[in-house]
Amino acid sequence: MKNDALKKFVDGHRHQWDDKQPHDRIWNRISLAMFGARTASLWNSVSMWRAAAVLLFGLSAYLFYANQSSPTVAKPPIAQQEFADVETFYASQISEKVKWISNEGRFADDSFTQDLQKLEAMYSVLSDELKKQPSERVKDALVLNMLVRIDLLNQQIQKLEESKRPAKEATI
Amino acid sequence: MYNIGYRIVNNEAEAEDVLQEAFISAFRSLEHYRGDATFGSWLKRIVVNKAINVLKTRKMEQLPEGDDFDVPEETWNEEEFPFSVDQVKQAIEHLPDGYRSVLSLYLLEGYDHSEIAEILGISESTSKSQFNRSKKKLRDILEGGTL
Repeated sequence: MKNDALKKFVDGHRHQWDDKQPHDRIWNRISLAMFGARTASLWNSVSMWRAAAVLLFGLSAYLFYANQSSPTVAKPPIAQQEFADVETFYASQISEKVKWISNEGRFADDSFTQDLQKLEAMYSVLSDELKKQPSERVKDALVLNMLVRIDLLNQQIQKLEESKRPAKEATI
Repeated sequence: MYNIGYRIVNNEAEAEDVLQEAFISAFRSLEHYRGDATFGSWLKRIVVNKAINVLKTRKMEQLPEGDDFDVPEETWNEEEFPFSVDQVKQAIEHLPDGYRSVLSLYLLEGYDHSEIAEILGISESTSKSQFNRSKKKLRDILEGGTL
């Protein structure tokens, strides 16, 4: 395929093609659909997400040291926009679930809270790394970190809902 | 992701539906994400597939199969491309679904013809000829001044 003026033109103005933003309502719709349809998932077992947390920590450490000597790679705007969309969506999911658990007054649950804090700390390290040394691997690690936190929060919410159930039934 | 869906379905409400379905579908099928592609490209492919499904429900017009219907390769050889981004965007929105999807997948989403062939369920040569026809149609719209 010849690289004609149209292709050059599109490539040269790539960032101008992603100017549309979805309406805010879409994030609420997605959140409701996912929150309302919570089912068993890959991360259902505690050991699974703990293993993921360890992997994330290892990856964070690896990226930190591996990137010390590697040159910065400029990422195309499209990839940055895609990542921003994903990050915004999952961040809103996490925020809503944290708020729900806080409202239940049941957030000080020992190991759950500690694990969540560790994941947040890893996320913070990875975010700094992304600013300094952008790469797809750091982005993947950030996304995985958020997904693990979402599943951890889902499990906690499920536990809280289940603990409330007998009390409700008793009042009927 | 929203822009990718919009470029294929050419409708804001349907692009929002595509985004919603894609995110939910991705979340529910995380076990299928093997890490051999970046998470972004995995999610992007889900968005593209959902958008193409929307076009299928519209009964996307069938374009001619194979090289028998091929047309000479369409290129703009001018030193400077004579149109603005907005003009080209509008012209793309005026393309029929089949032309627009092939053009967007190749020019804007960065898929090669073998990947487009797999996405659309057509042959690689058909993808190439459809892309060429799409460019010709786009040129007709732009130079015809019908926008």
